[in-house]
Amino acid sequence: MAMPDAVAARQGLRIVGQPVVRHDARDKVAAATAYAADWALPGMLHAAVLRSPYPAARIVRLDTAKAEAMAGVAVVLTAKDVPRNTLSTDVPGQTTAVGPLRATLHVLAEGRVRHQGEPVALVAAETLELAQAAVEAIEVEYEPTPGVFSPEAALAPGAPAVHGAGNLLAQWRIARGDVATALREAAVVVEGEYATQMVDAAYLEPESGVAWIDSDGVITIRLSTQVIEHFRDVAEVLQVPQNRVRVIGTYLGGGFGGKEDVTVEAYLGLLALKTGRPVKMVWTRQESLLSRAKRHPYRLRYRTGACAGGEIVAQQIELLADAGAYAYLSALVLLYSTVTAAGPYRVPAVEVDARVVYTNNPPTSAMRGFGAMQTVFAYESQMDRVARALGLDPLAIRRVNALRRGDMLPVGQVIETHVAIPELAERAWAALGPPAAPRAPHLRVGRGLACNLQPYGRIVWLHDWASAWLGFEMDGSLVVRCGCPDVGGGQASSLCQIAAEVLGVPMSRISVHVSDSALTPLAGTTTASRQLYMSGNAVLKTARELRAQLLRVAATLLGADAETLDMDDDHVVTADGRTLPISRLLAECARAGVPRSHLGVYHAPAGEPVDLARGSGKVFPDYTFGAHAAEVEVDTETGVVRVLRFAAAHDVGRAINPQSVEGQIQGGAVQGLGYGLMEEVVVDNGINLTTSFATYLIPTAADVPDVRAVVVESGEGLGPFNARGIGEPPIGPPAAAIANAIEHATGVRITRLPITAERVARGLGLLDESGAGTSAPPTAH
Amino acid sequence: MLAGGQSLIPILHYRLARPRVVIDINALPLGDIALDDGRVGIGALVRYHQLEESAELARRCPVLAEAARLIGNVRVRTLGTVGGSLVHADPAAELPAVVTALGARLAIASASGRRTVAAREFFTGPLTTVLAPDEIVTGVDVPAMSAHGWAVEELSRRAGDFAIVAVVALVSLDRRGHVDDARVAFGGVGDRPVHAPAAEEALRGREPTAETLARAAQAAREALDPPSDAFVSGAYRRHVAGVLCRRALARALERARPR
Amino acid sequence: MIARLVLNGRPRDVDVRPNQTLLELLRDTLGIFDVKEGCDEGVCGVCTVLLDGRPVSACLVLAAGLRGRAVLTLRGLERNGGLHPLQEAFIRHGAVQCGFCTPGMLLTTLAFLAREPRPDREAIRAALEGNLCRCTGYTKIVDAVEAYVRGHA
Repeated sequence: MAMPDAVAARQGLRIVGQPVVRHDARDKVAAATAYAADWALPGMLHAAVLRSPYPAARIVRLDTAKAEAMAGVAVVLTAKDVPRNTLSTDVPGQTTAVGPLRATLHVLAEGRVRHQGEPVALVAAETLELAQAAVEAIEVEYEPTPGVFSPEAALAPGAPAVHGAGNLLAQWRIARGDVATALREAAVVVEGEYATQMVDAAYLEPESGVAWIDSDGVITIRLSTQVIEHFRDVAEVLQVPQNRVRVIGTYLGGGFGGKEDVTVEAYLGLLALKTGRPVKMVWTRQESLLSRAKRHPYRLRYRTGACAGGEIVAQQIELLADAGAYAYLSALVLLYSTVTAAGPYRVPAVEVDARVVYTNNPPTSAMRGFGAMQTVFAYESQMDRVARALGLDPLAIRRVNALRRGDMLPVGQVIETHVAIPELAERAWAALGPPAAPRAPHLRVGRGLACNLQPYGRIVWLHDWASAWLGFEMDGSLVVRCGCPDVGGGQASSLCQIAAEVLGVPMSRISVHVSDSALTPLAGTTTASRQLYMSGNAVLKTARELRAQLLRVAATLLGADAETLDMDDDHVVTADGRTLPISRLLAECARAGVPRSHLGVYHAPAGEPVDLARGSGKVFPDYTFGAHAAEVEVDTETGVVRVLRFAAAHDVGRAINPQSVEGQIQGGAVQGLGYGLMEEVVVDNGINLTTSFATYLIPTAADVPDVRAVVVESGEGLGPFNARGIGEPPIGPPAAAIANAIEHATGVRITRLPITAERVARGLGLLDESGAGTSAPPTAH
Repeated sequence: MLAGGQSLIPILHYRLARPRVVIDINALPLGDIALDDGRVGIGALVRYHQLEESAELARRCPVLAEAARLIGNVRVRTLGTVGGSLVHADPAAELPAVVTALGARLAIASASGRRTVAAREFFTGPLTTVLAPDEIVTGVDVPAMSAHGWAVEELSRRAGDFAIVAVVALVSLDRRGHVDDARVAFGGVGDRPVHAPAAEEALRGREPTAETLARAAQAAREALDPPSDAFVSGAYRRHVAGVLCRRALARALERARPR
Repeated sequence: MIARLVLNGRPRDVDVRPNQTLLELLRDTLGIFDVKEGCDEGVCGVCTVLLDGRPVSACLVLAAGLRGRAVLTLRGLERNGGLHPLQEAFIRHGAVQCGFCTPGMLLTTLAFLAREPRPDREAIRAALEGNLCRCTGYTKIVDAVEAYVRGHA
């Protein structure tokens, strides 16, 4: 399938497409960036949270008197002190079979706790040590109640209800074609049951912020967040007008979805309001690992039917996810899983039955990949198993089945942009280089491939939009203002590149202000791989409109047609080479009363809500496709897996900043390797056993190889200059690529994550208690 | 008692212990490595990085240097002390397993006097030793065993993580090329470092063939009954102990052969 | 109690609580934010400082026990307001995303290169094993260190 010629499209671009140094890099290497915790104000108090040690309990008695009486303690708050303690959200995915239509969330626990770590009380004191001592002085009596700790248990008849009614939170179904017949008539049917684990975002910067009341009474919260729009939630909690709350988002020390929900801002707002003093809250790592919302664990059951030539004819899919104690974004996460459950493939008959269930486990919510990640492990394992059953190689089966433009996803969405899967798979595979030879007789080497699709941009019926303001100063320097939080992926810097491209201003002459709900035009969340698509398009649109505004004036000055004028290097340039310094143009604009700035809004193309079950249409604006290839070495005596080489290929449409794009691909791939090989939040009857970086393990530099990032530019994408979102896609494929590589090396198929050495050892039969000790290694494939 | 602080300070931070008083002993003159004929005296305040970097130690007692390299991360090795590791007595730690294998003796002092205790009797349980509340370890006396081949093998869940299983093996050969002396100990397989006399017995006097090593490893494995925890099962630990024991013995033998 | 240290070349005597760590001294008492707080138990590496030239976790050092030793944080690398060539290499090679691990990575690298000036990529990875990064996946950090080594070894 011929790919659009991106090279031709790239000609004529000066700054977009260049690996320019990000403007925030200089400050960060000098440690000059003030993160949320790098902030102190006179008279500042320190806050701490009392959290429940029980996963399910009634609060019988809560007495804060002793804590309040301690010297240096400013205030102790419980649920009764919160003006609006309960927030409600509509939960999509409701049928008559499903429980509450509105999910509730409490700022502080009211009479009951539903998960370990649930916040019960807040303290603000002169020092952090005093605040923590006061937390310990709060007297709480809990009466543990029966809890449920798996979705299966929670759905069993008579199971204790986590919230008012049944524990089924949301359900999505897709039914397309005649799956039963297709499976019956298939040449081969592969059944698989997979399990993915709960993981933590594990950003290095814990949840942190400082709040204060500003001189005009505005409650100002400066914190690490992916969503500055939560000023509205804080206003609701505090029962103050929305324009009296301001959220300033700092440069994050990582987000990955974990800072998408409200974290510290409601507490900070409350404490600042009650004490009248600035308040700082920084969660400990233990606290963050204990109680911050996690990634949904899934049970995934697949029956995949294929015909002899390799075409997949049917997928029958059951998904069961654990929402934990509170809904947060669970229903939407499940929706993403449902839409992507069959993978980037053309499948005529698909049934998906997806459910997400309340339990008394830690709550689960947004995390990089957002439900489209867990399904990759299942559908890519299935693809390899089908290939093996039919005697096809991993590349061939993907080539046969990959979606093409014009094909339809099971949900009824027609793919409108180029799908680069076959090329991506081939290039990722080739990037592994010549195969490594095993270094010893007990070592086996194998290779595996995994492809994925990840939506970018928000669900189309949410009517997404983003705004930006661009303005010239009199000397020709440019200011960009955009509400876009920068999580570290270069979001703010990309906006400068786009502005520089359109307005001909050198990067060094652009300053950018982001992420302030009072002072920067709102641009929505830095989530859903949407920010380049949305803020990028907002800046692009605004820059073009501003350019047109200015060139009308320039046209008069230069006696030329506005369409023939260019802006480059601080000048306006005519077709015949005459130039006008931008400062002169701006002076003329001032004289003529023409604004030198512009506020623009980009509206993403919207759509009507889709009835998934009827498979009626478009859910997401577009998708980013990828393929990863892994070479692993398995020690057949211990089960230890080493990743020798790894390549990750994605079609990004256009790389606004190639170096940033590679960085996203490499970083996402390593997070995916962590998910595949070592990360797990271990919860035992609701008790979290991994509340330290010594027990919750993320990859170090010595655990992973170089990631060869293969950046493909099809020139097709809905973002600025035809870019596609790249924030989330790279996290999806690695776990499946590793599992496929291990099967190639040893014949062992691991279906549970993480793929620990012990799981591989069991798969190899090393732990048969027949007393033999070490089994003979299986023959290599 | 605060030496390197790498274990104590997290304990204080997590409030797993709330002492009224913490005594900083870093100024005590216990930071020397003394090398005599056949013996090495290591002061309690010798830091892990000193074990790693001492050229003399690399010649006289290289197993200590190799074990030190595996401990924690580079920051732990800057400040963590030998005495601290032994007194903290983490069952998965490398140094307790090394001193157990070597048959070292710990020097202990209190206001009422001094005594020495064999390493193999020092560790009594998880994070527990024979040390009385008013005693400190001032150093450890180690037979250099420079004629022995040595090896330390370990397996962990991730680079730099504490070991799931660690094995320390030392082997010397007689003139016929048969095993003269063997020392084997494990970390991570019990509530304290585990000495493996059955493995040592299975090697002494024998020709060091692959079968002999396999039998020794099997003898060691069969004597173990490692615990299971939330992350790793006892059965897996036991299996890995056998594999690593065989590998450690093989590597130790390679280093012993040239003599 | 009095903590005595030589901080980035300057002798300092500071009043501290007995249980105050070096990290708390730097951030809370002295307002020096180039050292970050990530896990408070010495695992993540974002609080790395150099103590007499060797990397330590500032969260695991009691300030009162410093006894006049030399502590170097990132701002101690500054030369006449300019960046150290290793910092420039990090910028050039895209080794910085969120930047939270960066100060620890830089200090650990410099201490390592002082002892081993010509490491290969594998040795660089082993040297940085104790400094976690969640954003970059490490490849560009190794690229930056390798480039610096090539240019300066």
